[in-house]
Amino acid sequence: MQNSNNKEVLVEVRGLKKYFKVKRKKFVKAVDNVSFNIYKGETLGIVGESGCGKTTCGKTILGLYKATSGEVIFDGTNVHSLKPKDKIDFTKRAQIIFQDPYSSLNPRMTVGDIIGEGIDIHKLYKNKKREEKIFELLYTVGLNKEHINRFPHEFSGGQRQRIGIARALAIEPDFIVCDEPISALDVSIQAQIVNLLMRLQREKNLTYLFIAHDLSMVKYISDRVGVMYLGNLVELTTSEKLYDNPLHPYTQALLSSIPIPDPEEEKNKERIPIHGEIPSAIDPPLGCRFVTRCKFAKEVCKKDMPEFREVDKEHFVACHRV
Amino acid sequence: MSKFIFKRIFYALITLFIITTITFFLIAGAPGDPIAAKVEQMPEAAREVIRTKYGLDKPIFQRYKIYMKDLITTGNFGESIIYTGKSVNDIIKENAMISAKIGIIALALQLTIGVLLGLISAFNREKIGDNIIRVLVVLAICIPGFVFAALLQYFLAFKWKLVPVFGWGELKHYILPVLAYTIGGIASYTKYMRSSTLSVIGEDYILTAKSKGCKRKRIVKKHILRNSIIPIITMTGPAIAGIFGGSFIIERIFSIPGLGRYYVDAVSNNDYTMVLGLTIFFAILYVISLLVVDILYGFADPRIRVTDSEA
Amino acid sequence: MDSVKSDIKLTDDIFERVGIDEEYSEHLDKPSITYWADVWRRFKENKLAIFGLVLLIVVIGTIFLGPTIAGKDYQYIDASIKDQKPSAEHWFGTDDMGRDIFTRVCYGGRVSILIGLLCTVVMFFIGSILGAIAGLKGGWVDNLIMRIVEIIGNLPYLVIVIILTIVMGRSIFSLVFAMSITSWVGTTRMVRGQILQLKEQDYIEAATALGASTGRIIMRHLIPNTLGIIMVDITMSIPGFIFGEAFLSYVGLGVRPPQTSWGALASAGQQKLMFYPHELFFPCLMIVLTTLSFHLIGDGLSDALDPKLRK
Repeated sequence: MQNSNNKEVLVEVRGLKKYFKVKRKKFVKAVDNVSFNIYKGETLGIVGESGCGKTTCGKTILGLYKATSGEVIFDGTNVHSLKPKDKIDFTKRAQIIFQDPYSSLNPRMTVGDIIGEGIDIHKLYKNKKREEKIFELLYTVGLNKEHINRFPHEFSGGQRQRIGIARALAIEPDFIVCDEPISALDVSIQAQIVNLLMRLQREKNLTYLFIAHDLSMVKYISDRVGVMYLGNLVELTTSEKLYDNPLHPYTQALLSSIPIPDPEEEKNKERIPIHGEIPSAIDPPLGCRFVTRCKFAKEVCKKDMPEFREVDKEHFVACHRV
Repeated sequence: MSKFIFKRIFYALITLFIITTITFFLIAGAPGDPIAAKVEQMPEAAREVIRTKYGLDKPIFQRYKIYMKDLITTGNFGESIIYTGKSVNDIIKENAMISAKIGIIALALQLTIGVLLGLISAFNREKIGDNIIRVLVVLAICIPGFVFAALLQYFLAFKWKLVPVFGWGELKHYILPVLAYTIGGIASYTKYMRSSTLSVIGEDYILTAKSKGCKRKRIVKKHILRNSIIPIITMTGPAIAGIFGGSFIIERIFSIPGLGRYYVDAVSNNDYTMVLGLTIFFAILYVISLLVVDILYGFADPRIRVTDSEA
Repeated sequence: MDSVKSDIKLTDDIFERVGIDEEYSEHLDKPSITYWADVWRRFKENKLAIFGLVLLIVVIGTIFLGPTIAGKDYQYIDASIKDQKPSAEHWFGTDDMGRDIFTRVCYGGRVSILIGLLCTVVMFFIGSILGAIAGLKGGWVDNLIMRIVEIIGNLPYLVIVIILTIVMGRSIFSLVFAMSITSWVGTTRMVRGQILQLKEQDYIEAATALGASTGRIIMRHLIPNTLGIIMVDITMSIPGFIFGEAFLSYVGLGVRPPQTSWGALASAGQQKLMFYPHELFFPCLMIVLTTLSFHLIGDGLSDALDPKLRK
């Protein structure tokens, strides 16, 4: 992939594969040969239905999972071949926000200790300064001072998610993987959290990898969007291009499923239904991964896997039809 | 499924081999002279004869080889030191059934009464019946079996003379040991049945069954019992093995000539060959019962098979 | 409604926009309490559990202060006062050698409880370390440990304990060794299960992402989150060991005279049950009270730790 404009690349993912062993000689190909760049200061959205490998992809980029093969180059160094000492430095720069605000906070720790954990690990501040920093973080995410000695179970889902955000922010990272940070929240709270994330990005010049299955929210927050299907990236382009001119049949189907807030338009719009279930990631289809559910499938789609190529400026797609 | 069964049988065989080996070496290496118990005052020559007879003159590994070969090819557990001329097999043949009779009656009572009480307790949760049953269960669990035996013996037999104190042979002799044997078991079966039933009652699928108008009887039989009985099945494995071993203490207190009493006597008389033989016999029974229950469990609960094959 | 006719006209200007008080919207009304304070609060509400706690304190108080208050020696033999019934002089009566049973029960209790505690400590030490290693490391280490656990778990517990006590001779040490070596597997299974479950939690992953070391994850995340369940298991296993000791002493494999224990005292009392029932009654009563108190405390603790599981 060429760096087609002058934007600076922060994360470079090259041929990343992550297989999980299920049985002897059986693997779940959660992420299978994925390549893309994340530019400094942008938000790259990744969408796909559940089980398509988007979360695994995010966690492998952070080194939380060992990659089966491929590289993740973060600001010039490969994340998967770091020495223990450099690994610590890397964790200071790259953070994660989780989907489930309930299991992501240790129920036995106070909010102060949860947020302060990164500060302690990286020995950033001590005592008074540490406390001040935590107050500041609480304020940044819209909570207040008095919450520092509280326990996670005393908070609502949205509040807990904000604590999770404060924890990730505490060590002032450059890059945050947001792993479906809003999908477990009420719709009314979702907007709050998304707005908070966008404000923080502006203020702190953060780079996001925003994983979600809700296309409308991704469109709102992302500069560019990648669509994943069964461990493969099938389309990647800017948000506008993706929504105006989707090229991959899977993307087209996904987009047609977004409801339009206008009853007339909604009634008349053309829907592209996807039939059948997503195939097993243990034995994925040989050629194009989407062949079993694609209504345009031809012979060639069954045999050869389409190349992921740039068909238009900054518009990558993997489909034989294009 | 057949893979699952083969795997279980394989592990059971390994376990048996390990138990036999460890027991043999532990007992062979135990302090004290195995024949000292029998022959306190005896000339050295006579001792030697006895030693040779039991093969004690040979080195320990050779003895182990001979014993194992004998055990595997002919199923011979060895000969008692105290009861001259009697093999452990004879003792097992003569006495195992006595232990088994008491054990089977007791186990049947424990299971039926325990499961019933557990169900009653669970369906009347926090009501008077449940509270009474729970208090009784806690008390029964906190009282050791020998205390029950003693209490029964003292009151039923000695004070009120309802049944004979000791003795064996007639039906009336069964009453006390079976009672003493049963109470503790009832308590634990009740306890587990109650909690497993309660957790099943709370599941959404029971609510679904209710909401679709399922009859109460059918819900209890089809949905609740089938799921809540599973933990009870696991508990039954070791209990079945216990049947033949008999309750060591109960048989001793009531002077019942069962295997358990022979075992305890063999232990206190230092009858090493007998201890060894009976230990291995108990171990075989125990492992086989666990194996059978394991396999039955695999049939009863499909989840076990799945998790096992993926692990 | 037509019947209600109002003179008030609803116009825009009588309404006022209230809005949200930003400061107050995140306010929490409940006073802040730590997790353990919350557990203690729920435990205190449980009358049975508090009763158990008080009972345990009374039993332990009696055991340690009793002999001083009674002013007797537990080994002092006085042939002139054999087998006396309880009296003002000898609260629990005397035994067949004229020894004061109350004082003996107190000394025996120290031994029984000591054995119970030692076994529990050893069992938890081995069990939780191996369980934690198996759960954390996974792979072949996990496989190896779990195979050993499976094999030991498949051994008939009492038989093994009996064999070990025969081999090692009768002493407190061999009792503790035999009982804890056969019982740690349960703890290992439990701790491993807990750790596997916790490992799936996102906060462990969050800590890894923050660069936390394995040591830090164990100390800050895994231990605090397993402590509760381990505590319940500890309280529940102590009575099991006290039972085990009583059983072994009862069969004649427990502590040796002049040392004594509740089991040994009960065993001695059993022989004279028909004529002097109090000699069996008092040691048994102490066993029952102690077991009861631990059970009640354990039940209360597990309810207090997880109110959702309360049944």
